[in-house]
Amino acid sequence: MGMRERIIAILVNNKPGVLSRVAGVFGRLGYNIESLCVAETISPEVSRITSITNADSDFIDKVKKQLNRLVDVLDVTELVPGQSAQREMILIGINLDQKGRTEIVRSIGLFDCKIISMRNDYCIIQVAGSREEVETVINFLKPFGIDKIARTGVLALRYKDSVS
Amino acid sequence: MEKTGAEILLQTLREEGVDVIFGYPGANSLPIHDSLDESPIRHYLVRHEQAAAHAADGYARATGRVGVCLGTSGPGATNLVTGIATAYMDSTPMLVLTGQVTTELLGSDAFQETDIIGITMPITKHSYLVSDPGEIASTVKQAFGIARGGRPGPVLIDLPRNVMAAKCEQSGVKNITIPKKRNARRKKDGGELQRIANYMNMSERPVILVGGGVKLARACEELTGLIEKGNIPFVSTMMGIGSVRSSNGFNLGFIGTHGNELANRIVHDADFILTVGARFSDRSTSIVEEFAPLATIAQIDIDPSSIGKVIKADISLVCDIREALTTLTPLAERKGRGGWLSRIEKERNVLGKDRSMKECGPAGAFIRDVQTAMPEETTAITDVGLNQIWTVRSWETRTPRGMITPGGLGTMGFGLPAAMGVKIGVPDHDVVVFSGDGGFFMNIQELATISYYNLPVKIVVFNNGHLGMIRQIQDLFYGARFNDIELGNKVDIVAVAKGFGIEADRVPVEDPGAGIEKMCAAGGPFLLEVLVDPDTYVFPIIPPGRSNIDMIGGRQG
Repeated sequence: MGMRERIIAILVNNKPGVLSRVAGVFGRLGYNIESLCVAETISPEVSRITSITNADSDFIDKVKKQLNRLVDVLDVTELVPGQSAQREMILIGINLDQKGRTEIVRSIGLFDCKIISMRNDYCIIQVAGSREEVETVINFLKPFGIDKIARTGVLALRYKDSVS
Repeated sequence: MEKTGAEILLQTLREEGVDVIFGYPGANSLPIHDSLDESPIRHYLVRHEQAAAHAADGYARATGRVGVCLGTSGPGATNLVTGIATAYMDSTPMLVLTGQVTTELLGSDAFQETDIIGITMPITKHSYLVSDPGEIASTVKQAFGIARGGRPGPVLIDLPRNVMAAKCEQSGVKNITIPKKRNARRKKDGGELQRIANYMNMSERPVILVGGGVKLARACEELTGLIEKGNIPFVSTMMGIGSVRSSNGFNLGFIGTHGNELANRIVHDADFILTVGARFSDRSTSIVEEFAPLATIAQIDIDPSSIGKVIKADISLVCDIREALTTLTPLAERKGRGGWLSRIEKERNVLGKDRSMKECGPAGAFIRDVQTAMPEETTAITDVGLNQIWTVRSWETRTPRGMITPGGLGTMGFGLPAAMGVKIGVPDHDVVVFSGDGGFFMNIQELATISYYNLPVKIVVFNNGHLGMIRQIQDLFYGARFNDIELGNKVDIVAVAKGFGIEADRVPVEDPGAGIEKMCAAGGPFLLEVLVDPDTYVFPIIPPGRSNIDMIGGRQG
């Protein structure tokens, strides 16, 4: 299959040091984590880690087996596009001049995003959506002069009835 | 009743069956040592923490129980690291206890503070930092479960001094269950064993590849049963040696870089290989693409991560090996396999029955002589290097735990301290360690421990004044440029041993004369220095980047 983005969801015990063990497995196998999102689940003693890695097709098998060796890892699942909902949120800080300010306010409604802070010379925009949607917004905003960007990384959940 | 953390720790260790700890005290482990005198657990004081870890490893390999070692924080803990890595690579169940600075000093670069959990993360199965004395009992019980369970390995518990000293109401701890994986439907046999049996029954040239997992699963009898029922020849990895008596007629030897030529050639010709408890390490397979090119490969292992890691098995099963073999053997048909076995016999005769003697030179003959002179129930321990290959090739293993060698990590300096642990674990067995001068010097300080406790360990040091195996590699593959491998002969090893209070003698390898008898007759520890010519190597050998049948010093064609 060659190199492509692989999303995996890892359920772990919500304890100190666990993330470092998980990240250590990726590093030891020579994989870079492109995005990573960690937070507790509905049960506070369990955390969900969602990560993206650009990797070959043997990645899932290798990383899954090594992760499962960790005592604090409860479950490892690959999330395949088409069988899972995938969303990312981004905050984008933009330096504004008068012209840009008007244009951004006017065109922002075309996209599914929000202005969450607006000053004379600076605004912060919140974008949430699929990978493609947020990339479109970033590309649109680039000419206005993006100052900073913060991304959650992709979050994903498998559709209920899909079986892997 | 209120107890200190240290008292709870030692009590829980007792409940888990611990009778021996190998350790070295320091300021941050003192509360534990302070309570040890009231515990029935015996503490052996080594001379360097690395030796404590190797001794615990040797103890575990010899007894099948969990070995326990204890070091203080900082340098005490870091000195354990090589021993932990050795145990991890060879799947030895071990509990590593480290003292730690008090919890309020954690992370402050305090005196003798290191992040030992961070350091050992890739070489432990799991680790714990205990911050509350109330958690000690359950943590220790979990640690034992993890160390023993599945594919065994070392587990580390980091114990801050104040937690060990603090008092706490000890409530009885029920049996702890290790948190289960959500997707751990421990794969029940879904017909794989029947399919493996079908392949095995249909195959014309089957071979069983035996790894160290067979001993760990205590499946040696079951395996022998399968071999003898199916008339199936077997080969071992270095770690698998001893699973079946080496005198068994179906034994072809061990495979890989320094393995037996017969084993390597027959694996190459096999049409079916049943792999049990082996992980296809690079030392066993050499070039993966050319390993067993004609064979359908089946693999049974308790560790899912060992399956498909190096070689994609055609059929595999994650299962306890003993359980698997118990089901598989009745499915195996009794077969004559006359053609295959006579072909192997022919090959064996071509290669020469006594060739392994010549391949290991006079050292091989010497090792055989030592074995002849020692009781049946003798445990042999090796160090690493030529001494290791000579020993595993020449010593005839009669019991599963009769040969102990650090196959995975290849740790020079393992032999001497591991032998102490073995002797303490199985005091009724005679224990002999074969080392080279290189590895011997790496943990020579343990002669003091052996002498202090008067442990009757027989120590053979092959002295060629060089790092022999590295010399062989330089000779064959680096244009005979012998750089940085000469240890020289200025040290009088016999005098050194005597200085430590250990009886010793020196003999040439070709003519040990009465030396062997003298060693065997000694009531206490005895060191025999055996002088070996530096040009004595081991053959055949597989050059780096070549396949298992492409060996130097093997038969031509």
